[in-house]
Amino acid sequence: MRQSASIRLSLAFVLVAFVCLLFADLQISTSNPWQELGRLALGVVTPDFAAVDYLGKAVIRTLAFAFVGVALGAGGGFMLALCFRHRVIRAGCAIIRAVHELFWALLFLQCFGLHPLTGVLAIAIPYAGIFAKVYAEILDETDPEPAHALPASSGRLSTLLYTRLPLAWSHLVSYTAYRLECGLRSSAVLGFIGMPTLGYYLESSFAQGHYSSVGALLLIFYVLIATLKLWVRPRLLPLYLMAAPFLLGSGLPIAWSNVSRFLTQDVIPAPIRSGEGIAGLGPWLGDLLTDQALPGILNTLLLTQIALVLTGALALLLFPLVSSHFTRRLSGTAGHMVLVILRSTPEYLLAFILLQLWGPSMLPAVVALAIHNGGIIGHLIGQRSNTLRLRPDAPHGVERYAYEVVPRLYGPFLALLFYRWEIIMRETAILGILGVATLGFYIDSAIQEIRIDRALVLILITALLNIGIDSLARHLRARLRLRYRANSRQGC
Amino acid sequence: MTSLTLHEVVADYGEGRVLGPLSLTLSPGERVALVGKSGAGKSTLLHLMYSHWRHRNAALIPQQLGLVDTLSTFHNVYMGGLPRHSIHHNLITLARPFRRDIDAIFPLLERLEIADKCWNRAGELSGGQRQRIAAARALYQAGSVLLADEPVSSLDGPQAAAAMTALTETYDTAVLAMHDVELALRFCDRVIGIDQGTIALDQPSRRLATSDVLPLYAS
Amino acid sequence: MTHRLMWLLGATLLLVTPVASAEPFVFTAIPDEDETRLQKRFQKVADYLTDELDHDVRFVPVKSYSAAVTAFRNDQVQLAWFGGLSGVQARERVPGSRAIAQGVEDTEFRTYIIANEDTRLETDAGLSDEMRDLSLTFGSKSSTSGRLMPEYYLREHFGEPPEETFSRVGFSGNHSRTISLVASGAYQLGAVNYAVWENEVEAGEIDTDAVRVIWKTPRYPDYQWTIRGDIDDRFGDGFTEQVQQALLTMDDPDLLESFPREGFIKADNDDYAVIKEVGNELGLLDP
Repeated sequence: MRQSASIRLSLAFVLVAFVCLLFADLQISTSNPWQELGRLALGVVTPDFAAVDYLGKAVIRTLAFAFVGVALGAGGGFMLALCFRHRVIRAGCAIIRAVHELFWALLFLQCFGLHPLTGVLAIAIPYAGIFAKVYAEILDETDPEPAHALPASSGRLSTLLYTRLPLAWSHLVSYTAYRLECGLRSSAVLGFIGMPTLGYYLESSFAQGHYSSVGALLLIFYVLIATLKLWVRPRLLPLYLMAAPFLLGSGLPIAWSNVSRFLTQDVIPAPIRSGEGIAGLGPWLGDLLTDQALPGILNTLLLTQIALVLTGALALLLFPLVSSHFTRRLSGTAGHMVLVILRSTPEYLLAFILLQLWGPSMLPAVVALAIHNGGIIGHLIGQRSNTLRLRPDAPHGVERYAYEVVPRLYGPFLALLFYRWEIIMRETAILGILGVATLGFYIDSAIQEIRIDRALVLILITALLNIGIDSLARHLRARLRLRYRANSRQGC
Repeated sequence: MTSLTLHEVVADYGEGRVLGPLSLTLSPGERVALVGKSGAGKSTLLHLMYSHWRHRNAALIPQQLGLVDTLSTFHNVYMGGLPRHSIHHNLITLARPFRRDIDAIFPLLERLEIADKCWNRAGELSGGQRQRIAAARALYQAGSVLLADEPVSSLDGPQAAAAMTALTETYDTAVLAMHDVELALRFCDRVIGIDQGTIALDQPSRRLATSDVLPLYAS
Repeated sequence: MTHRLMWLLGATLLLVTPVASAEPFVFTAIPDEDETRLQKRFQKVADYLTDELDHDVRFVPVKSYSAAVTAFRNDQVQLAWFGGLSGVQARERVPGSRAIAQGVEDTEFRTYIIANEDTRLETDAGLSDEMRDLSLTFGSKSSTSGRLMPEYYLREHFGEPPEETFSRVGFSGNHSRTISLVASGAYQLGAVNYAVWENEVEAGEIDTDAVRVIWKTPRYPDYQWTIRGDIDDRFGDGFTEQVQQALLTMDDPDLLESFPREGFIKADNDDYAVIKEVGNELGLLDP
């Protein structure tokens, strides 16, 4: 019965995606992409490490921003997790994590400018919201009995420190370590808007067609992420954390008057600032909603729903690459590498490459999102499949896939897909900056026009949309009783 | 200390009633053995007592022991004394225990013959050793009443007797769920038999022989 | 516990901004074309100004037009090479700031509308209904030559917003990218800064068979150097004057070629009144 409910739901999602396809602009319009793509392919396979002057510095900055941002986020998130019961805290965390790092950075750029604080806070704040939620879930999943057996009046803090915390510790640590991988990605992505990280040079090299530098930068990025486990050791962590703040660079000095100007002028809606008062607010907001927010919401939803279904399909196709039920040792290693590349390449770059290939439409964005997210879910489902024990005489090949493995993994697969739903929507933001007319596009326009008041309203709408999708997904998960342990839902 | 009482308490699980309504009074200095076959409601009754009496400094040894596997034996035992110390003291102890506390806890561990495991993590130890950690925690807590659910079930004869002696010397008021009837009669002065969620037997132990209790275990 | 302490330590250190001994004079520029070229060009300018002014002058690159305006507004840079629109945006937000110099060419700047060969639109074909329902890319959203003026003239000609004339309207980000997107056919039409176009044609980087100029806009004022109003108080009396003189007397052909400009002449805020008007009309500036 439950099985058929999840199949029905899946079909409904596929149907919705098909309806979205009718409204989405997915035209292929390039006439001569091959020359540029050929150069790109050549560049990526002939990486030129000498071409990037500031390579070492960029790597250090990327690491430093990731470490400091994630550490602050983890510290703040932990504090918040302890009072996650309170509705206000929960709602606050939902809002701060619903806003993409890039938007936080664009806002902080307004008050702190090109100072490291901009990048650090842009990572730390949304991460604190995510950490708070997941830490709270992990703490809730611990065995309550030890705390119950403590003498009465042991005190809340002592109870926490002696029972729930040590019980949850290993899960907290492994989740935090994995978030560091996400932090590296975020840190790199912040380069796209001017932080001195790998993304900065990646974007430049890309825009200028220096594809050998692109190859070098991507390779370094993959290696950083793939070897994370080798150099992030508990013993070395204090050392990294001590060093990181000093390696952020100094950027440009902060003038604190800008912060107060940001808070008292920039964010105030234009009609109020210009003295029109509340009366002018209605038309201002109305225009903003009908001209920008509504089309933005529509495109965001179209893009999200199509990308979600394509992500699911891709994940189901990709997971055998890393599943021991379908691979041998050598092909398994190759499969792992393919998935690492798919999931660590920033969507922005994927979309940019595909834009060259297919021309400007929603298609590059849809495919970029699906490749990246399909890579992540495929990886997780593949790992999960390795815990399955099949009977010795189980069929092989396609029959094994269709009869033995997929039916067992379909529940966890759907659960993961629903967890990623909101994340996919959040990521449409970056692609907006590339020109797909999602909410992110209009936010970027408002920032370009230095109309922070408009940007803020649109960011808030984006956040609410994310929260809406998140609660819908939660509702569906609860109805189908789909669960996936907080700690195992890895993927940024 | 005044008597501890339960008045017409019940426990439900889902639709069904698993315990009660029942009432009982525990006088200071009274040690009660709860007997009855498994599923009769002994553990439920103990938890009910704990929730009613926790704030009167009751100590609990649950059947699952309630140990924190990732912490050492010492820390698990120290937990019995959390309310006696300031929060800083507890915090520092987590990183580096004070001599004074080690001196207080070590003899308890020696008495239960697990002093050599003082700094091992609880998760690494055997069932019997873990059970003695939970007992030591109750000893260190030195509360007003002990509520223990099969506290020595994984210990062999002499070890079980030693642990029971230690527990009963510290706690003259206690409720112990026991399946070993002889041990129950030896260390308790009152026996309460539970059958199908109600009190089927309530007698001073000196008037009972093992054979009087056995019918409770018959199906 | 030690970790928590270190995080705190890290946070505190972050807030301590380095104190420079003598305040450097910092400038930036809108990133309107390839970054390596910009970096090279403006590093040369920084060196030149350092010599001329006998003061530490630094160039800071930014990633977007708005970042340039924000840095200027936040006083993280004191001087900037802005486009027409970004200059107006910046001066509106920094009272007292003014345009002090522009390129000789900037009094009569223009935009080229370029087309991919597959559109079969001929060189100098002019604006025509054959352009309808093709795709078009502007440059940056706040670019004067890449967006504001071409959009203005396209609206004027077709009598409707570009989104209605063309099948798709995009923003490439900068002029170099506009050219490469039109060359690849990703967009069929593009609006590009004429100076960047001529420069790249001269450098042989454009296949003029694949991309051709189909229309040139009328002339309008564009790029200018804009300086903050409080410079004399902070860097000494007459510093603004010195900066302006240094820019106006710049005659090293190597330096000027990299812009590319013949030389620099005086400018003031009123030169850009028309840009402000058009900006208001298109809703890119708040009236």
